Amino acid sequence: MASRIIEWIDHRFPLTSFIKHELTDYPTPRNLGYWWNFGFLAGFVLMLQVLTGLFLAMHYKPDAAIAFDSIQHIMRDVNYGWLLRFMHSTGASSFFLVIYIHMARTLYYGSYRSPRELMWWTGQGLLLLLMATAFMGYLLPWGQMSFWGATVITNLFRATPFIGDHVVVWLRGDYAVGDDTLTRFFALHYLFPFLIIGAVVVHLVALHSVKSSNPSGIDLADKDNIPLHPYYTSKDFFGLGVFLILYFIVVFFFPHSVLEPANNVPANPLITPDHIVPEWYFLPFYAILRSVPNMVGGVVAMGLSVMVFAFMPFLDRSRIPGGGRYRPVYRIMFFLFMLDILVLGYVGYVPPTSKTIAIGQVATFFYFGSFVLLPFISRAEDKWLFKRGLPAKIKALIASEEEDKRKRKQR
Amino acid sequence: MNKYMASLALCLTIVSPAFSAETKLENFQVDTSVIAVERGVDAFMNSCHGCHSLKYVHFRDLAGFGIDKDRITAWRGDSTLDSAMTSLLTDEASLQSFGKVPPDLSMIVRAREGGANYVYSYLTGYYLTPDGKTSNHYFPLTKMPDALEISTTTDPVKRSGIMEQAHDIVSFLSWAADPHESERESLGYYVIGYLILFTILLYNVKLQVWSRLKA
Repeated sequence: MASRIIEWIDHRFPLTSFIKHELTDYPTPRNLGYWWNFGFLAGFVLMLQVLTGLFLAMHYKPDAAIAFDSIQHIMRDVNYGWLLRFMHSTGASSFFLVIYIHMARTLYYGSYRSPRELMWWTGQGLLLLLMATAFMGYLLPWGQMSFWGATVITNLFRATPFIGDHVVVWLRGDYAVGDDTLTRFFALHYLFPFLIIGAVVVHLVALHSVKSSNPSGIDLADKDNIPLHPYYTSKDFFGLGVFLILYFIVVFFFPHSVLEPANNVPANPLITPDHIVPEWYFLPFYAILRSVPNMVGGVVAMGLSVMVFAFMPFLDRSRIPGGGRYRPVYRIMFFLFMLDILVLGYVGYVPPTSKTIAIGQVATFFYFGSFVLLPFISRAEDKWLFKRGLPAKIKALIASEEEDKRKRKQR
Repeated sequence: MNKYMASLALCLTIVSPAFSAETKLENFQVDTSVIAVERGVDAFMNSCHGCHSLKYVHFRDLAGFGIDKDRITAWRGDSTLDSAMTSLLTDEASLQSFGKVPPDLSMIVRAREGGANYVYSYLTGYYLTPDGKTSNHYFPLTKMPDALEISTTTDPVKRSGIMEQAHDIVSFLSWAADPHESERESLGYYVIGYLILFTILLYNVKLQVWSRLKA
């Protein structure tokens, strides 16, 4: 009976061939480490946010007069409303953590290299969408930090040439952040996840065309590929289990660690908090914004600090595959860059003093310097490594990559 | 790679002390027992409720937590069980007496850096300045009078009585700010326990599936 139903469907829809092509026969490199789990985890967290968000929206009221009250209604009166809300707030932070690790893995192993540039660029678009969604969602609790964070960030659009003031009013729906801002942010916060899902589909279609990268940095021969299911599905689900343990430890025991105390005070346009600080996942970019004395310059620097990753496929001039794995200089640069981001995060967190501003400026300089110098450093490193003589293993990798390219050209 | 991860983690731990609060607060252990919270409500109704509201806490919530029904009836007077614990003091009257509307205290423990430690330190932080005025170590500009009268009390026995009262009030306010905390934590142990078992099973599935490769 079951096989007849499937036969009936297959006649009208490519169910079996889809499962075969994308799961049970889909070739995946057998040498992937656990750093390759994070794409799957990001997809899972996206679904988690959509589902908890859906149920939160059933009880939330996007009206400046009662938004804060409706959050308290969810936290106190709705059955397991506190669980939904803490899952959603912790989920937002987890989403960024997972995505940042996913990006760091791509940078470390050079997964952005040809032929995966489109993966990297659609990922960049996804990051922007995620940031916009998180920013708009943060206004919804209508606490002091929601209100003042939205005020500061929308104000940055004043830097737009010629029409800056109009853009700010257009974004806010009013001259100041208010009820109109809240209702439109709510509508957009509900819309954007669907744009994200659409972009994820593009990201996955691109992935299934170029296939996963792997620590060696080159495409492996067929014998070194194994089917996604059951090998990587079982590995991904184990990783998911570990993730869920850590996630629920925060949800059940430290849910307030991702919520700012000032956001438990209702929004008040007349009282500015002593210290307006964005969520942790925006801190490095916020520090870059504050490091540039001029507002327009700061906004441009901040925008560039997010977008500059898109240039990686052009900036990395090395012929040696595998990113940090086989390239000592690149590896050192990678970890210094990670350290620099942590320094920037710290600078963005503390109230600005002349000392932290100076540290922030040096860190900003180093941040962009890494990208500007990468073409020269990667080229010099490449020459040095070739002169020193490459280990046979890497030579073989390069040879097989070049052969691969030749074959593709012939086709 | 692991060596570098370890050094990154080390750098994080060096930076992290800088994130802790600057002001030294009294260290305070919230008492989550029903008896402590019940004493806290009583102290709150006597010393705080005259001016401060708890608009998100209803009398029925106290009953739901397990506080004695007769005491709730005594506290609520004419208001219904379903009404919020709002103060009778109007905003206009408080503006006239204090120049400021006293903040709602439903979320106060969650709305201040330092949480319960801060509220306890603040309540017991009143002292007399050399020129006989009342001030507060943790919030010098506060408009609130020393409601528990700790600044004018010198008798050590009475002082410790006031500290106990502050302890009970903060225990109550901690519950008020996060009424599902104990339920959340007890549910958490089951969820985490279940997930650990489930993850061990998933790990074994993974091992078994991957063992086919070596064969």
